[in-house]
Amino acid sequence: MKDALNTAPIFTRYDLAIENAQRRTVRQVSEDALLQHVADCLVAGDEEETQKVVAEVLNDRAPLEIINKGLIPGMKEVSRLWDLGEYFLPQVILSSDAMIAGIALCEEKLGRTLEKKAKVVTHTAEGDIHDIGQVIVNSLLRVAGFDVINLGADVPVDDVVEACRVHKPIMVTGTALMTTTMTAFPKIAARLKQAGLEIPFVCGGGAVSEDYVTSFDLGIWGKEASQAPAMAEDALSGLSWSEMRTKWNG
Amino acid sequence: MKMTDVMAYTGPDEMMFGFAKKPVTTRRGLVIGGGAVIAEVVPHPRPGSEKTMRTLLREFERANEDVLERCVNIGVPSVVIENEHVFQMTDNAKWGMEIAALATHQIREYEEQYGLKAAYRATIADIRKPDMVNLRDSDRTRKVLEAFDACARHAEIVSIESIGGKEIFDHAIIRNDITGLLFSQAVLGGRDMAWLWPQIVGIATKHGAIPGGDTDCAQANTAMFMAAGFTAKDVPHTLAALCRAISVSRSLVAYECGAVGPGKDCGYENPILKAITGLPMSTEGKSSACAHSSLCGNVMAAVCDLWSNEAVEYHRLFGGSTPAVFAEILSYDVAAMNAAIALGYQKEYQACLIASDRYRSLHGFILCPDNAWSIGKAVVDNNESYYVRAKAAAMTCAALMLADQQLRFTTFEKESLLGYLKEMESLPPTEANFIDLCLKKYSKVKGFLPAAYGL
Amino acid sequence: MPRLAIAMDLGTSGFRAQALDLGSGEMLSTAITTRHPLPGANVIDHLHFALELGVETARDLMIQAINQVIAQLRVSAGDVVRLAVCGNPTQLSLFQGMEIRDLAFAGSRKLLALGVVPPKRAAAIRSAVEFPGLVLPGECAVIIPPAVHDEIGADTLALILQTGMLQDGETTIAIDYGTNAEMVLAHEGRIYTGSAAAGPALEGQHISCGTLAIPGAIADLEPVGDKHRLIVLNPEMRPVPGSLIYLREAVEIAAAAGPKALAITGTGVIAALDQAIEAGLIALPHIRTADSRLHFGKDIFLTEKDLSEAGKAIGAVRAGYFTLSVAAGIAPAEIHTAYLAGASGTYMDALKARRLGLIPPRVKAVRQVGNTSLAMARELVMTPEKLQEMSDLAGRLQKTHCMFALSKTFASVFILELSHWTEGMPMAKYRELLSRYRLPDLPAVDAEPQVHRTVKQDIAEPGRIGLVTLEHVGMVAALPLDGCIGCMTCVQVCPGNAISIRQDTNPPTIFLDHALCNGVACRRCEPGCPTKVFHLNDFFDLTLGRKAAEDDSARSKRWR
Ligand code: B12
Ligand code: SF4
Ligand code: SF4
Repeated sequence: MKDALNTAPIFTRYDLAIENAQRRTVRQVSEDALLQHVADCLVAGDEEETQKVVAEVLNDRAPLEIINKGLIPGMKEVSRLWDLGEYFLPQVILSSDAMIAGIALCEEKLGRTLEKKAKVVTHTAEGDIHDIGQVIVNSLLRVAGFDVINLGADVPVDDVVEACRVHKPIMVTGTALMTTTMTAFPKIAARLKQAGLEIPFVCGGGAVSEDYVTSFDLGIWGKEASQAPAMAEDALSGLSWSEMRTKWNG
Repeated sequence: MKMTDVMAYTGPDEMMFGFAKKPVTTRRGLVIGGGAVIAEVVPHPRPGSEKTMRTLLREFERANEDVLERCVNIGVPSVVIENEHVFQMTDNAKWGMEIAALATHQIREYEEQYGLKAAYRATIADIRKPDMVNLRDSDRTRKVLEAFDACARHAEIVSIESIGGKEIFDHAIIRNDITGLLFSQAVLGGRDMAWLWPQIVGIATKHGAIPGGDTDCAQANTAMFMAAGFTAKDVPHTLAALCRAISVSRSLVAYECGAVGPGKDCGYENPILKAITGLPMSTEGKSSACAHSSLCGNVMAAVCDLWSNEAVEYHRLFGGSTPAVFAEILSYDVAAMNAAIALGYQKEYQACLIASDRYRSLHGFILCPDNAWSIGKAVVDNNESYYVRAKAAAMTCAALMLADQQLRFTTFEKESLLGYLKEMESLPPTEANFIDLCLKKYSKVKGFLPAAYGL
Repeated sequence: MPRLAIAMDLGTSGFRAQALDLGSGEMLSTAITTRHPLPGANVIDHLHFALELGVETARDLMIQAINQVIAQLRVSAGDVVRLAVCGNPTQLSLFQGMEIRDLAFAGSRKLLALGVVPPKRAAAIRSAVEFPGLVLPGECAVIIPPAVHDEIGADTLALILQTGMLQDGETTIAIDYGTNAEMVLAHEGRIYTGSAAAGPALEGQHISCGTLAIPGAIADLEPVGDKHRLIVLNPEMRPVPGSLIYLREAVEIAAAAGPKALAITGTGVIAALDQAIEAGLIALPHIRTADSRLHFGKDIFLTEKDLSEAGKAIGAVRAGYFTLSVAAGIAPAEIHTAYLAGASGTYMDALKARRLGLIPPRVKAVRQVGNTSLAMARELVMTPEKLQEMSDLAGRLQKTHCMFALSKTFASVFILELSHWTEGMPMAKYRELLSRYRLPDLPAVDAEPQVHRTVKQDIAEPGRIGLVTLEHVGMVAALPLDGCIGCMTCVQVCPGNAISIRQDTNPPTIFLDHALCNGVACRRCEPGCPTKVFHLNDFFDLTLGRKAAEDDSARSKRWR
C-alpha cells in the first residue's frame, strides 16, 4: 500500500471535525466585559451572584441591553452546552433560575414586564403531588423564552380551565404520575372544548401513555420534557392540536 | 433536435467508475462523476403512510433523516438521497414540494452541522397512463409538469421514469414480438420523450435544478424481470437483452434534449448511455436486491458514478431502519471503489466486478464496458432515426452475443434469438415504412392513440 | 381442643400467613401467595379498583383470597380464636372496607374538593363477624394495628419494633425496599420517617424479564472470572447456585444442576447493575454490549429502559435517606447501621446494593432482617398487648414524619439522581452540585461494613406442617357474553394474559383472571370489542361472575 493514502474521498471523521470545531468550554457571548460578566454568572448557574452582578451592571447598562446581550445569550450558551452533553439537567435548571432572577431585576428597573413570546399554562393533575416532571418542563419553557403560568401541583380541573380562560395561553400542559389522577386530563380537555378553547393540551408523566392521551380531543402526548419548547413553538406558529398530534405522536 | 453522432469515449478502456467525461455540480457544490463514486439512497414509504400529507411527510422525514444520520455516524463524505414520488406526490404537487423542501432543509442542516455533502433527487411519478389518457393533453400531463415545477424549486436533481409506448410494449412482450418492442420502445418511447424532455429541461433550468435523466424502467426492466432468473421461462433472456439494447435509442433522447445526468439508477442501459454521452450515471446492482433480483449485480458498478439501492420500503431491522441500513451498505460498496481509485487499483477492481458477471448472464455480458461501448457505437453510427438506431443496437447486441465463445445459451434462448434476428432482418429499412406497418398491425391494441405521439 | 391463631401479612404483592398454636406458641404452618388478588401491581392500582368498583367489592375479593390462604394453612379454621394482620395503610383499609380516597389521591386540594375526611386508622380489636364472608368463627378476634399517616402504616411500625433499631444507640436507618420504600431514621432518640415511593423495579416488576421473588427468580450473581454464576431461588425460596452465564451475550456457558432461572427479581437486577458497572459494561445511561442488553443466559436480559427504571427507583431511595438525614441535621455519611427489610432486603447482596447507593455510603453494619410485617403479626397474636406499644409509637411518629412531597431537598436530590441515571451525569458533578445546594456531601463507599444476615430466606421458619405457595389467588370470573362473536380481540390485546374464551358455549364464555389483570387503569380489552359487549367491570361484579368461576372444570379447559 502507498504510505499516505488519501482517505478524503473514502470516509470522513466527523467526530474529529466536531471536536475541532466546537470548544466544549464556555464560549464568549459578548465583547462587553460587563455583559460578559453577567453571562458568566448565569452560565455558572449562580442565582445569587447573577442577582448581585445584574444589580451592579444596571448602573452602567440599560436593562434591555442586559437582558438581550447578557442574560439571553448566556442562556443560549447553556442550552448549547446541554445539547453537547457537557451540561446536565440540574445545571440547566439552576441557570434558568438565575436568568429569571436577573430578568426580574431588569424589569423592576424598566418599570414594566417584558413582552414574552407567548404564554403556556402548566400544571400537575388534581390529586397528584408528583411535580418534578413539571418543574423540568417549566424551566425548559422559560429558557426558550415562554411566559410560564405555573399552576403548581394538585390543581383542580376548574382551576386549569379558568387559568386558560383568563390567560389564553397558546398551549397548556399537564403532568400525572398516578393512574388515579390522570383521569383529570380528559375532563379538562372536554371542559376546554366546551368553553370554545381549542388549546393544544400536552399531557405527560409516568402514568399516561400515548394511547391514553390521544384518546381524547386536544390531547397530545409528551414523552420527554425536552420536547416541550419545540411543541410550544409549534403551537405559537399556529399548528392546531390535531396537527401537533400528527407531528409528535403516532 | 440533433441525434448524437459521436461517442464521448474513444474506447471502453477509458470508462471508469467515479469518472465521467462531463461531471455535474449541484447547487450545493456536490460534484458527481468527478473522481469519486457516491451512494444514492432511495427510501420508499410504507403503504398507508400516503393517506395524508402529514403522515407521508413524516415518513419521508424519518427516512431521509435516518440516511443522513447514518452517513454522519459512519463517516460517509457525501451522499445523494432520491425520493421517488408515490402517486399522491405528483397528483398533488404541493405534497411533492413540501417533501422536497423538508428534505433539502434536512440536508442543509447536516451540511451546516457536520459538513456532510448531500444532494436530493426528486423523481416525479409519470402518472400519465397511455391506455387511459392522452399523453400530451390530459390533466395528468399537466400535473406531471406542475410537479416538476414545484419540486425543482427545492430539489437539486429532477428525473422521471417516462412511460411512453408502454401500452404497445405490454401487448408485445407477452407475445415475444420483437417488432412491437422496437415500435413501442424506440418509436413511441423516443417520440414521447422528445415531446416531454425539452419541457422538463426548461423547468429545471428555470429553477436552477439539474435535469438528471430518464430510464426505460417501464419497458426494458419489465422484460428483464419477466426473464428473471435461470429457472424462469416466460421471456427468453435473449429477448430481454435485445430490449435493453433497444432502450438506448429512447433513453438517449433525454440527454439529446438537454438532460445532463446523473442518469436514473434503474436504467440498466446507463453504461451504454455513459459511453455515448460521457455524462455521469447512477446504477444499481447487488445492493438493490431489496427491490429486485438481478443477474448483473457487480458489473453494474463498473462504470457508475452514483451507486443506488433502487428503493427500499421503510422498516425496522436489527441494524436500524432500512434507509439507514442501505445507506451503510451502499456507502461501504462505494468506499471500496473509492479506495481502489486512491490506491490506483481501479482497473483491477473494475476487472473483478466485470469478471464476476460477464458470463453469468446475457444482461451481464452486454453491459460490460466493452460491449456497452460497441452497442453505443452502433447507435451513434446509425443516427438516422430512433427506429434505425434501435434496430442497429439490437442487431449489434445479438451479434456480440453470438460471437463470444464463452457465452452459453439454453436451446430455447438460442433458437429464439435466431428467430428475432430473422424477423428484424425482414423489417423495412426506414422508419416511415416501419411506422406504417406498425400503425396497421397495432391499431387495435387497447388504448393505443397514435396522435398522442404525433403520428 | 387446641386454640389456634393466625398471623397474616397483607402485602401489596401478596399475602403471607402462618398458623400458631396459642397454647405452646408453636409455629404450625405457612401459606403464601405470589400475587395480590386485586388487579394491578401497586397500591394505587388497588385503590383505583376500589374507587371504580366500590370498596366493598375490593374487600370481598380480598377476604375471598384470605380464605384461600387460610385453607392452605391446613389447620382447623373453626379453632382459630385470633387473627392479627399487618400491612400498609392501603391494604389494612381495603381489608376493613373503610375510606380510602385520602390514600388514592395525594394533595389536599383534591381531597377538600371531594369532601374527604381522612379516617384515624387507629388500632382496633374487632371480631370476625364484622368481616362478611371470612371463614373464621364469628367470635374470633381480629387484631388491627394502627397507622401513623397515609404514607406510614403498621408495616413501618413493625419495621421499627421488630428490628429493635431504637435500642441500637447508634444513628440507624431501616429501609423496606418495597414499592413504597418506607424508611425510618433514628438519631439521638428522635425518629424520622418517610416514604420514597421507589416503584416496583426493586422488587423486579416493570422490568422486561422481571418478577417478584418467586422460585426460579435470579436473586444474585457471583463473579467467576469474566463470567457469572446465577444465584436462583429454589422451590423453598432459598438462594442456590444456578447456571454460569456471560453478561455480554445471550448464551448459557454451563447449565446448572439446581433450579432453572425463569426471570430476574429486584435483587438480581441490583446485582447485575453492580457487576456490569464493575466490568465497565455500563456507561450511564447506556449499556455497552453489542445489543445494549445485559444477558443472563439465553432468554433473560435487561434493557437500557430497565436500567433507567431501576435507576429511578435507586435514586428515589437515595434521595429519601438523604432527605431524612437533612431533616435530622446530619449527613448521610453519618448513618452507622442499616436494617434492610422486605423480600428485596432479605435477598440483596448488601455490598453490591451499597455500591449502587441503596444503602448509605459509610455504614459500618448492615442487618438483613426479613419480613418484619409477618413477625409483627406473629407477635400480636401471641401478645395482643403489643398493640398499645404500637399505638404509642405511632403517636410519637406523627410529629417527625417527613413529607417528601413537600421537601425541596428531596426534589433537588432526586433531580440529581435523574440526571445521573438517565443523562449520565458523573458523581463528581453530582457532589459539586450538592455543595452548590448547600446540602451535605455524599461520599463514595468506604471499607466494607459488617453484614449480618439474620434470616437466610424470606420466611425463616415455615413450621411443622410446612409451607404452601399458592400460585393462584383470587377469582377467575366467567361470563357468557350475549353478542360476543368470539373474535378474540380482547384476548389478544390483554397485556396480562388475563382473558381467555370458550367458544363451545352459546354465547361464548369469557374468563377473566382477576390476579393477572393489570388493573382498571389499563382497560385495553374494552375499546377493541367490535360488538361493544366487553365491559371490564362486569367481571368484577361478584354476583355476576362468581358461579362459573367456582366451577373448576371450566378453568382447566381454558385455552388461548
Ligand atoms: C419521585 C417520586 C415520588 C416523590 C415525588 C416528589 C415530587 N415533588 O415530585 C415522592 C417521594 C414525594 C412521592 C410520593 C408518592 N408517590 Co411517588 N414516585 C416517585 C418516583 C420514584 C419517580 C417519579 C418521578 O419524579 N420521575 C421523574 C420525572 C421527571 O418523570 P415524569 O414526571 O414522568 O416526567 C417525564 C415524562 O413523563 C415527561 N413529562 C412529564 N410531564 C410532561 C409535560 C410535558 C409538556 C412534556 C412534553 C413532557 C412531560 O418528561 C419527563 C422526562 O423528561 C415514581 C416511581 C418511578 N420509578 O417512576 C413514584 C410513583 C410515581 N409514586 C407513586 C405513588 C403511589 C406515590 C404515593 C401516592 C405513595 C405513597 N403512599 O408513598 C406518594 C404520594 C404521597 C403524598 N402524600 O403526596 C406511584 C404511582 C403508582 C400508580 N400506579 O399510579 C409510583 C409509580 C411508584 C409506585 N409506588 O409504583 N413519589
Ligand atoms: S386488557 Fe383488560 S383484562 Fe387485560 S390487563 Fe388490561 S384491563 Fe385487565
Ligand atoms: S372482543 Fe368482544 S366480540 Fe371479540 S371475543 Fe372479546 S368479547 Fe367477544
